[in-house]
Amino acid sequence: MTRRRSGLILPRPSRRGFLAGGLALGASMTLPGCAYIRDDAAVDAPLPESAKAEIDGDLIYFNWADYLAPRVLKGFQEEYGVKIVESNYDSMEGMYAKLAAGNQYDIVFPGAKWVVKLRREGKLRAIDKAELQNADQVFYSGSYFNDPWYDEGSQVSVPFTVYKTGVGWRTDKVSTMTNSWEDLWNDEARGHIFTLDDQDEALAMAALILGYDVNTAKPSELEEIKKLLISQKEYLRAYSSDDINNMMGGDAWIHHMWSGDFLYLRQGLADDPTQFDFQSPSEGVPINSDAYVIPTNAKHPGTAMLFIDYLLRPENAIKNMKYLYYPFPVKDALPAFAELAADVPACNVEVSDLENENVFRLLGADETQRRAAVWTEVKAS
Amino acid sequence: MATAVEAPKARKSPRSAQKTSLWGWLLALPTAWMVAFFVSSMAIIVLLSFGRTTNDGYPVFATSTANYRAIWNQVYLELFLRSLLYALATVVISALIAYPVAYVIALHGGRYKNALIAAIVVPFFASYLIRMYAWKALLSDDGLVNSALRGMGLTDGVTFLNTRWAVVGGLVYGFVVFMILPVYASLERLDVSLIEAGKDLYHSPVRTFFSVTLPATRAGLYGGVLLVFLPALGDFVSAQLLGGASTYMMGNLVQQQFAEGQNWPLGSALTVGMMAALTVLMVIYLRATATRTREL
Repeated sequence: MTRRRSGLILPRPSRRGFLAGGLALGASMTLPGCAYIRDDAAVDAPLPESAKAEIDGDLIYFNWADYLAPRVLKGFQEEYGVKIVESNYDSMEGMYAKLAAGNQYDIVFPGAKWVVKLRREGKLRAIDKAELQNADQVFYSGSYFNDPWYDEGSQVSVPFTVYKTGVGWRTDKVSTMTNSWEDLWNDEARGHIFTLDDQDEALAMAALILGYDVNTAKPSELEEIKKLLISQKEYLRAYSSDDINNMMGGDAWIHHMWSGDFLYLRQGLADDPTQFDFQSPSEGVPINSDAYVIPTNAKHPGTAMLFIDYLLRPENAIKNMKYLYYPFPVKDALPAFAELAADVPACNVEVSDLENENVFRLLGADETQRRAAVWTEVKAS
Repeated sequence: MATAVEAPKARKSPRSAQKTSLWGWLLALPTAWMVAFFVSSMAIIVLLSFGRTTNDGYPVFATSTANYRAIWNQVYLELFLRSLLYALATVVISALIAYPVAYVIALHGGRYKNALIAAIVVPFFASYLIRMYAWKALLSDDGLVNSALRGMGLTDGVTFLNTRWAVVGGLVYGFVVFMILPVYASLERLDVSLIEAGKDLYHSPVRTFFSVTLPATRAGLYGGVLLVFLPALGDFVSAQLLGGASTYMMGNLVQQQFAEGQNWPLGSALTVGMMAALTVLMVIYLRATATRTREL
């Protein structure tokens, strides 16, 4: 898998950032009638029971595009003699809209706060760890994931990846980094600074500078965040989540970016890796995680259980990590990731990092809308 | 408007009655299609614009006018004006590109006419998104275009991306074909002897163009203006991929309400508000152009 840098190359865009707006093209076509528009959402419904880990059909797979190593997917199909039928989403909102509309998938890969929402609405099946031979790779004694904040008792989810958000920069263009989020206001890189085009990430960055909770929805704090972000505009080139391309194309000298995207850029794409560095600012950074879940209406939950077990095998986790450049919290695969990130330890996410408070929580609609109004005003001004 | 498709009234002869009923049946399918997928989704948006969001994030129907009061603020009005400006610039630039291209193909294309038109249309079969990503790769600070400029010693590099020009450029590239095709169609129908007459009367080529060619192809131009203006005004892809920190457009605003903002009712109200404003603009435009076309 050698990707060389040349004049006209289109490295794969950030999977997380691949035009979040694509939602409008994708989801709008798949919302049949008014399935989404209803007022009877079940809350804290009892959990549908776990399936046995045995093949009960082909796997209907629903993930970000290009978000697991193709050879791992191929390996599963060959070993178990089933097909993987793949669908993709390009935003968590789009993923949720399709599930809410009743589409059936066997395995989905939501971010933590979406696990909270799906579980609360009874849309997820329990996952019995006794059915998974490799369960001890993530649910060993003392593991953070035995009782993560987003899934009490880890009943419906198995951890997939963890990631942090920090700042990537060009060492040949900028010499005055201070390991602070305020570096996104750096004079040396004026006009070459990018902030992620992501409501949660942008507001969190400003909140951390001001010492507020990353999920804040207090009007007075949001007002300060708004002023701070507007003060950044004269330094900015753009708001964009296409962090890999912006750095590769030379447009960005300092980029608010995701750890895995940075590592892929540096280790997988760059001609001269020493041109790029990453910091995890001292004010604290958002650390978030994605999980494997099996929807209640899955047609082949047994195959999905086997698939999760297959992904938990350390050798497969390592293959996936070397493809995605995001750490998987699989015990025997962690040393391999530390090795991958040896030159940029700031990209690594330690299990102890997960105890931090800077996770994006599920907020009420009024809170989300207050935050959205601030973000809209920042971008529109 | 587009859905007011009815079977023409039956005439006297049985044969024509048969024909009409056939046409009626043939029209039934597209009409049903439009009602099912266009009118009904429009109706949902209008209804939802009076709705609200439950605390779980579900949009529900209601009878609140809060969303309409919310869109009446300075930030949104400025955004609307900015989008209007970008869309108008897109129309003007598209027309300036479309006329020479269509003119050369229609009047001097000879037997290559169809091939040339195909050459213009074929790239538009590729996804708009992918083509925008391609522009990013070409125009980035270290991209192909800047490398070439530097190689020739012309500049130290030009900042193309993340500017308002990049956004308008993206819109022009995305929609210019909708200007070229109608202008080409009307030029094709143009009687060349009119232009020759202009020449015979010692008009300069420029004067011939403005007093003969342009008036004779007005209808195509008027159509092209609408076909480019409307999608350009609602577009969000160009601003999102090629835009800078201050090039946010209406399309981005609406899209944000339906995604991260978790506010479908507000997004619906913005959509309805924009459609209302556009309808007013279009009525004025169509009246003005209809009068002019009649004067011909």
